[in-house]
Amino acid sequence: MFSQVLTISRFTIIEALRNRLILMSFLVVGISFALVEFIGELAITEHRATQVAILAAFLRMSAVVIITLFVVSSTVRELHDKTLEMILAMPIRRGSYYLGKLIGYLYLAVLLAVIFSVLLLLYADSEQVFIWMISLFLELTLVIALSLVMLFTFNQLPSALAGVFLIYGASRIVSSILLMSKYPIVAHTSTAQQFMDGFIELLTWLLPDMHRYTQTSWLTYNTADSGTLLPLFGQTVVYLVFLSFIALFDFYRKNF
Amino acid sequence: MVHYFHYLHKDRPVSDVPKSVKWLLVISFVLQLIWHGFQQPVVANAKDLAPPLSTRSYVMSSLGEPIAAAKFLNLWLQAYDNQPGASLSFHQLDYPRLTQWLDTILELDPDGHYPMLVASRVYGSVKNPEKQRIMTDYVFSKFIEEPNKYWRWLAHAVITAKHELKDLDLALKYADALAEKATGENVPYWAKDMKIIVLEDMGQLEAAKILVGALIDSGEIADPYELNFLTHKIATLEEKTANE
Repeated sequence: MFSQVLTISRFTIIEALRNRLILMSFLVVGISFALVEFIGELAITEHRATQVAILAAFLRMSAVVIITLFVVSSTVRELHDKTLEMILAMPIRRGSYYLGKLIGYLYLAVLLAVIFSVLLLLYADSEQVFIWMISLFLELTLVIALSLVMLFTFNQLPSALAGVFLIYGASRIVSSILLMSKYPIVAHTSTAQQFMDGFIELLTWLLPDMHRYTQTSWLTYNTADSGTLLPLFGQTVVYLVFLSFIALFDFYRKNF
Repeated sequence: MVHYFHYLHKDRPVSDVPKSVKWLLVISFVLQLIWHGFQQPVVANAKDLAPPLSTRSYVMSSLGEPIAAAKFLNLWLQAYDNQPGASLSFHQLDYPRLTQWLDTILELDPDGHYPMLVASRVYGSVKNPEKQRIMTDYVFSKFIEEPNKYWRWLAHAVITAKHELKDLDLALKYADALAEKATGENVPYWAKDMKIIVLEDMGQLEAAKILVGALIDSGEIADPYELNFLTHKIATLEEKTANE
C-alpha cells in the first residue's frame, strides 16, 4: 500500500517540477532581493532590521500564495481531467491517494522553505533563519492540508482559493480581533455584541494559532530559541490530523 | 491558403472578422479617447498627514506582521515629504500628528529605535524652534517611560536644546533627567556628564564643580579615563572660578 502512496507523491513532485514551480520560487527570490536592496537604500537607520523584516514578511506571504495556488490548481485539474477517477478505478484506497498527494506537496513545502530561507541568510543570523525555515515549513503544511480540505469541499478553483485565504487570514489575525473585542474603546453589552464576542471566542478555539508561526521578530531581534518550535510542532500535528480527517471525510463521501 | 493560416497563424485572418465588429472596435477606441479628453486633468495636491489608525488595525492589515508593518510605516512616513507631483518640506508637516504616528510605530515594534532617530535627527533638525521643541519634548516623554533604552536620543535632545534652540534651561532639564534616570550599565559616562557641561555653559561653575566632586566621591566610576576626565574638569572649573 505504501508503494502506491509513494508513487502518487512522486508524480505530484514531477508535476510541480514540470509546472516550473521551482523556477517561480527562484523568480520570487530574485524580485525579493531587488526589492529589499532598494528598501535598504531608503532606510536611514536600522538598515538591516528594516530589510529583514520586510523581506521575511514578503517571502512568507509569497510561499503561502505559491503553495496554495499550486495545490488547488493541480488537484482541481486532476478532478476535471478525470485523472482522479482513473486512479480510483485502480485498486487504490482513497486514503492512500490523499496521503500520496499530501506527502508530495509536503516535499515541495520543504523545497520552498529552504529556497526562501537561503536568501534570508544574507541578512539575518543563521540559527534564527533555521528556526524561521522550520516554522515556515510547518505553516505551509497546514496551508496544504487546508487547501485540500477546501478543494474536496468546493470542487471549484475560485471558491476553494477564497476559502483557503479567508481561513488562513482569519487564523493569522483572530487573536488581534479577540483582544479588540475583549478590550473595546466603548463597552457594549447588547445581545448582538455578546453574540459577536462569543463567535470570535469560538473562532479562536477552532482556528490554529497561526500568529505564533514564522515570526519576523525572530530574524530582526534574534528572539527565537530551540524551545520556540516545540508548541508549533504540537499545533501542526494536531491541526494537520484534524484537517486530514475533514478532507478524508469529504473525499470518501464523494461520488464520481 | 487555409493550410497556410492553419499552420503558421493559429488565429483566423482579419478578413474573417465581421465588418460591424471592426467598425465598433474603432468607434469604441475613439470614444475612449474622447472620454479621456473631457476628464479633469489630474493635479498634484499635497495631502496632510492623516491621523494613524489603531495599532491593532495595522497588525490585522499586515496579517499579523507588526514588525514588518512598523518598518514599512517608518519608510512611508519618512517619505511623506515626497508625494506624487508635490513636495513638502518637513517643517510643513503637522508635528503633533507626526508624534502620534511615531507612537503607533513604536507600539508596533517596541524594540525598534527608528522613530526615535527620525524624531531627533530628521524632524528635530528643521529650522523651526517650535517644531523642534515638539520633537525634543516627544523624545523626553519617551525617555521618561524607558530611560535606559532611550538615553541616547535624549542626549541628542540636550545638544539640540543647547546649540540649536539656545535654550540652556531646557538643555539642563534634559541633562538632569539623563544623569538622574539613565542609571543602566549600558549608559556611558559621557551621557551622565552632559549635565556638568551644560552647567558650565550656564556659568554655574560652583554647581558644576560640586557635581563633579560628588561623582568622583560616589565611587561608582571605575573607568580610569573617566576619572581622569573628571579630575581634569575639576581643575578647569577651579581655574575658571579663580579667574572670575
